[in-house]
Amino acid sequence: MKHTLLLLCLAVPSAALAQIDALENPGSVSAIQERAFRMSHELTLGVGSLPLDAFYKGFFAQVSYTYHFTDSFAWQVGRGGYSYSLKTGLREQLEKDFGVIPTVFEEVQYMVGSDLLWKPFYGKAAVLNTSVIYFETHLLAGATVFKFTNGFKPALNLGLGFRIFQNKVISYRLDITDNIVFSLQQKPFNVMSIQLMLALNFGATE
Amino acid sequence: MKQLSVLMAAALAFAPMALAAAAPAGSAVDPVTGEATQGKPKDAAAAPAAATSTAKPGAPAEAAPAAAPQKVDPKLFDQALQDYFGGSPKEAAAKLFTFTENVPATDENYAWAQFFLAKSLIDLGLRHAGAVYLARIARERTNPAVLPKALAELQTLTDLPHDERMIDEQVFGALDLGFLPEDIAGYAHYQQGLVDLKVGNERWANTHFAKLVPGSPEHSRAKYALLVTRLKTNKKDLPKEMIDEFFELAKDHNLTLDARNDAMLAVARLRYEQKDYAGALQAYDLVKLPALDPGRATLYLEEAWTRYQLGQIHAAMGILTTLDAPSFRDEFLPDKYILRAFVYRDLCHYLPAKRAAKELTRRFADSLETLRERDDLTQDPRLRRAASSHGQTKRAERFLNSVELEGERLGRYAGTFGERFFSYLTRLYDLARAEAMRVFQQRLEESVREEADKLLRAAEQVRLMEYEVGLKLYERIKKGSKLVVNIEEAALEPNQVAFRFKEEYWNDELRSYRFSLKSRCIEETAQ
Repeated sequence: MKHTLLLLCLAVPSAALAQIDALENPGSVSAIQERAFRMSHELTLGVGSLPLDAFYKGFFAQVSYTYHFTDSFAWQVGRGGYSYSLKTGLREQLEKDFGVIPTVFEEVQYMVGSDLLWKPFYGKAAVLNTSVIYFETHLLAGATVFKFTNGFKPALNLGLGFRIFQNKVISYRLDITDNIVFSLQQKPFNVMSIQLMLALNFGATE
Repeated sequence: MKQLSVLMAAALAFAPMALAAAAPAGSAVDPVTGEATQGKPKDAAAAPAAATSTAKPGAPAEAAPAAAPQKVDPKLFDQALQDYFGGSPKEAAAKLFTFTENVPATDENYAWAQFFLAKSLIDLGLRHAGAVYLARIARERTNPAVLPKALAELQTLTDLPHDERMIDEQVFGALDLGFLPEDIAGYAHYQQGLVDLKVGNERWANTHFAKLVPGSPEHSRAKYALLVTRLKTNKKDLPKEMIDEFFELAKDHNLTLDARNDAMLAVARLRYEQKDYAGALQAYDLVKLPALDPGRATLYLEEAWTRYQLGQIHAAMGILTTLDAPSFRDEFLPDKYILRAFVYRDLCHYLPAKRAAKELTRRFADSLETLRERDDLTQDPRLRRAASSHGQTKRAERFLNSVELEGERLGRYAGTFGERFFSYLTRLYDLARAEAMRVFQQRLEESVREEADKLLRAAEQVRLMEYEVGLKLYERIKKGSKLVVNIEEAALEPNQVAFRFKEEYWNDELRSYRFSLKSRCIEETAQ
């Protein structure tokens, strides 16, 4: 009881202080602006890498189309990419010194997929106190089908992305996703992708 | 001591005679004032002045010794041009000065030398000195080929702080217009029309303005000047067509953005005067600001009043938040506090209303004290800043600052220019600074009174507000009083985003603030 009273005594002055400010300057102020950048039909051209595999590094190019239902929800209807692999030193060593056959190593050759995008964050930032840039952050979830050297495999794709707007048509998008690949022969494994895209927006309303 | 005074007297008596004999016949013009010295040697006239301006007390002997007459090598002009086009205006200026000082005005290169001397000085950041030489070319007219070029350079200089009397009035305002190329003649006609308008002779101004090519920038500016003059002279009976004319001008891309915005502001103000608040608001919305430009405080305040008159008190209060931004912290806007008090009063927040009104007397306490004590108003920092923030006073202050800056910059060239040239320029800048200061003080005294009147009117409003709020605070609620309908705040539309204001101002948001406060009038009247 004593403790409760003590806590109350300590809490009341801070509440009173807050009230003084509210009494002196009642009301609140917000900047209400037209949303400067709104997406509609988005076509992206991107390049990226698959950096996670220790035996090869994939470098891929990808094309995608996204339809934005609202300012906060979109569907990446389709995406397709072709990957070019570069062997790592480890793999070369294994092949050369230990005679491991190259077909043992699974490599991503190409992939197709589709995702849903949720875009809860939209904001702006001051650049060197001289200009303003607008950005958007999204979370995405979807499915991918990979063509590995040994066959097709499905995957669950989860990730997040960041977009910077240049103007109403052009924006730049960075997506970092992780594909959880399912296979009958082995345990699920991850294919991570980092991708930078040039996004072209068509049909956006002012 | 006696010997020294005898020597000085002798020197003063003989030096002019010797120099007069040596000076070239045609060069009898003072490069500082531009006046003919009637055969008097320039050095004799200039040296004592230079001595008074540059020499320290107690060291008169060091000041400007009389220069011996020089025979100028005709190649000096070519060398100077080589220096100028070779990117060394400093060396070029010194040579060109020597050349102009030692050849007669009838020399074929005399005017060209003046022209390139002016150009060199402008390149060195000594714009006023350059303008003086260009103005001399315009006055002397020794070479018809140089004149249009000099006038074109002068016209360019008018975009920056400049000596309005020397360039606008004495050169362009007094030019013989018959021989000039079309573009220069257009500008000169415009300036001469302006001079006529200033002295209240609209008919004469119209004869000049009628000669301007329709569609030219000067034509548009002349129309604007005419409309503004009519607005000033016929404040009571304004024809409605004037609003349309201002509106047309606001869309005229021959005018600068500032002038177009001024025209649109004039439309808004005229509509406000006619109580067409919706129309006024439309006009305020049409004022175009460059990206991230904070805009003008007066624009915001006027828009806030217009919105208040339209009953958009939350929007009006939002704009008042804009006026608290650091960009406008030094603005002199006594009305801001009154309007804020009105908004709080209308929402039945009486204590904040009283506090907002009292803020004016607190903020401007020093200025009000200066007024009460009948002190010199020009010494009050707030009133002084307010008075020199716009119009003629602002221009005069900018010119004064520019002359002071150039005067300081001149010191860098003391070694290169040589003693005579440096002394001339020092004297020139001393005279220009003194004149600029006189003009600024004269204009400041006039405009500071206007600002003081504005402050006194606002202080009077504060007293009325305090009285009114006092009455409201202790007003008894009558039985059966009806509820006041709360003013609905506009909901956020799907294409809008809201950034909560947290004491950080963003230039791109300055026109978008919206205030939110529930009216307490319901509760009070419902009791």
